[in-house]
Amino acid sequence: MSLIEIEELTFSYSTQQHEPALRNLSCSIEQGSFVGITGLAEAGKSTFCRLIAGYIPHFFQGEFSGRVNVAGKDTTETTIGELAEWVGFVFENPFDQLTGASLTVLEEAAFALENMGLAREQIRLRAEKSLTQVGMEDLKDRHPQQLSGGQSQRLALASIIAVQPEVFILDEPTSQLDPLGVEEVFDVISDMHTRGNTLIVVSQDLDHLAIRSDRLMVIDKGEIKWDGEPREVLLEAAEARYPILIPDVLEISRKLRAAGRIPSNPPLPLTVEQAANELSSIDTPGSAETIAAGRTSRHSKVESSKELVFEDVHYDYPTGVSAIRGVSLSLDEGCVCIVGQNGAGKTTFAKHLNGLLRPTRGRVLVRGKDTREYRVAELAREVGLAFQNPDDQLFRSTVEEEVRFGPDNVGAGPEEAKRMVAFAMDLMGLEAVPEKKPHDLGVPERKRVATASVIAMNTPVVVLDEPTGGQDAEGIELLGQLVGQLVQQGKLVVVVTHDVMFAARHADRVIALYQGRVLLDDDPRTVFGREETLARTHVEPPAVTRLGKLLGLEETLLSPEELLAVFAPE
Amino acid sequence: MFDYRPGDSPVHLLNPVTKLAVAVGLTVVVFLLPNPWGPALIAVALLGVAAVAGFPGRVAKLAAILTLPFLVAVVLVQGIFYPGNETPLLEVGPVTFWEEGVTYGLLVFFRVLVVVCAVLIMVFSTYPKAMMVAFIDKGLSPKLAYVFMASLQFVPEMQRRARAIIEAQQARGLDLKANLWRRFQALLAMMIPLLAGALISVETRSLALEARGFSRGGMRNHLIEVPDRTTDRVIRWSMAAIVVLVATWRIVL
Repeated sequence: MSLIEIEELTFSYSTQQHEPALRNLSCSIEQGSFVGITGLAEAGKSTFCRLIAGYIPHFFQGEFSGRVNVAGKDTTETTIGELAEWVGFVFENPFDQLTGASLTVLEEAAFALENMGLAREQIRLRAEKSLTQVGMEDLKDRHPQQLSGGQSQRLALASIIAVQPEVFILDEPTSQLDPLGVEEVFDVISDMHTRGNTLIVVSQDLDHLAIRSDRLMVIDKGEIKWDGEPREVLLEAAEARYPILIPDVLEISRKLRAAGRIPSNPPLPLTVEQAANELSSIDTPGSAETIAAGRTSRHSKVESSKELVFEDVHYDYPTGVSAIRGVSLSLDEGCVCIVGQNGAGKTTFAKHLNGLLRPTRGRVLVRGKDTREYRVAELAREVGLAFQNPDDQLFRSTVEEEVRFGPDNVGAGPEEAKRMVAFAMDLMGLEAVPEKKPHDLGVPERKRVATASVIAMNTPVVVLDEPTGGQDAEGIELLGQLVGQLVQQGKLVVVVTHDVMFAARHADRVIALYQGRVLLDDDPRTVFGREETLARTHVEPPAVTRLGKLLGLEETLLSPEELLAVFAPE
Repeated sequence: MFDYRPGDSPVHLLNPVTKLAVAVGLTVVVFLLPNPWGPALIAVALLGVAAVAGFPGRVAKLAAILTLPFLVAVVLVQGIFYPGNETPLLEVGPVTFWEEGVTYGLLVFFRVLVVVCAVLIMVFSTYPKAMMVAFIDKGLSPKLAYVFMASLQFVPEMQRRARAIIEAQQARGLDLKANLWRRFQALLAMMIPLLAGALISVETRSLALEARGFSRGGMRNHLIEVPDRTTDRVIRWSMAAIVVLVATWRIVL
């Protein structure tokens, strides 16, 4: 018998009775396996996880039919607490899942063990051991609220590891982390797999997930669409043009096989190194230069005006931390992406763009207005800024009203507001849900509502803070189209992002920040070509760029199409 | 400002329940004592205890900040208006200060000073988690103890979120300095996301607590040990005896 068995399971939440979240789903999971799960937002991935942990039907109510068996126990007849000894669960939000009642990292890791009533020495030993396993033994006396997202997520993992359950379920564990945090968490996950733990990991990040898991499942509208060896599943999804984030290296190799440039029998590559190995043996008939040359000016230039000017800007937080240390630049038009590790000053920089923060030295001019002399509400007519967390802003009772909030505030006339609201909802793929409550939508959609309400303000400058975080392939595509549209209208779009693929595809200019200063500031090709310099601020160029470098190509590549042009010109 | 100050003085080593018992006992005693001398002496003694614990300056400074404005107010008001005023003490222009009033004002002040010092010493010398464990050992429900611990972190977390919300709404053009109707709207734009966000995180947190076996019955244990020594019991019984003695003296005699 398998460790987990699900039979003919159908479940609808009581809030959405006519739309089953899972439909007649059956599958079994063996002990020691690492199952990756991916799929579009709202496909039923989280529902799948909640079923195994018993949160359904014990915490989330609804209509339940079928059977879920974990380690021989029927989950409907076992409480969440009892199941917790078999199934450990790590949630998406790194901070909400801490108990909030611990003053040190060690206490947090020990919490479950205390509840289990183990002997004191045993509690300490197991908690310390699990902290060591996630590489946090040096932080055991730190206050949990002073951890980074990645550390916080590893602590959540440690406190589950301490319980020693049979199965670990991680539901989008890295979607809210910076690249460094993503690496940290996936390293721990890999390590757990080698120790023989059973893992179920939901993620959109197939670059990290596919190479590590030994089985990949794509859930689509409550059903398992594909289920099997990761390469085969990705290959089928790619051939069906299914919207998941297929790793670029696999896509490139698939196309070269289709073009007959490489033999089709060896396994498809999942990492840059594997792809480089495969490609190093074949010749390069084409050249990237032709494509690159045609691409330098991506957007038609409107008249050049200095929209945003930073003059030797410094910013020190009241705590004494210097977040910006002498930045001078001007932003004119097109799409400008700001990259850099957490703590490099990206968000502080963004908050200077609309006067939320004012420089402690130097000045910022927003379309000629010194931000020190205007209120944020006044500057909001010039610069719209969409923050990362939609839940910090949504408060109206329908999506349409929510999107209207921005234009109403900046005094748009009723006709104008109506037009802009429709435009923004359309761009963000919300045209089907104008009457829904924002809080009934999933996180990716909520985030798009918040973005739409900023777009609808029709400001000449739009700033997006980490817009692609937690979005599925469709959401990222929508955001890309949005940026293109806004730039075409002559707006300046500033995107603060960890998503280098997004930056490579859409940016006209990339600014890398490092310790409050500008590290690099140029077109994306130049910036992403400087791998060593970027490494200082923990930014890794896109996979295809690294692949090109490994293959010794002279030109820096930004897209799979460019690489294909080198290896398989039409 | 009111954080735990680590240390290993005899005061730190006392069981938190003992410290609470002493604080409560002293509060009862000073409100039973009839003149300022008793409470004043106890206040001085408490500063001595703070010195033993290693933070006399901190207790003195905070107690001064918290009680000095009160001292001025209560002595002025009682000195002039106390109903039992008979003996003039000092005349400043048309205003007379009376001895009885000033004495009564000082009594009230020293009572408050004792309570403030006792609470500060308890807070500074007690690791909050140890307080929670000590109370669970004495039979407090772990759920209530959790609420106590969580509330310590709740306020800073809400403040942080409130700031993020204000920033996000201002970025969408919300004007905080507008007419009354606009300000009322601004309040909604702040409160609703604050509450909604709290509800969302409560859902995750309650599941996370469940998953860590929080609601399971049976034996619990604690990472930190909070011993209840003979000294603790002696101090608690002595405190109780003192309270009974003082009460008997004041009520019966």
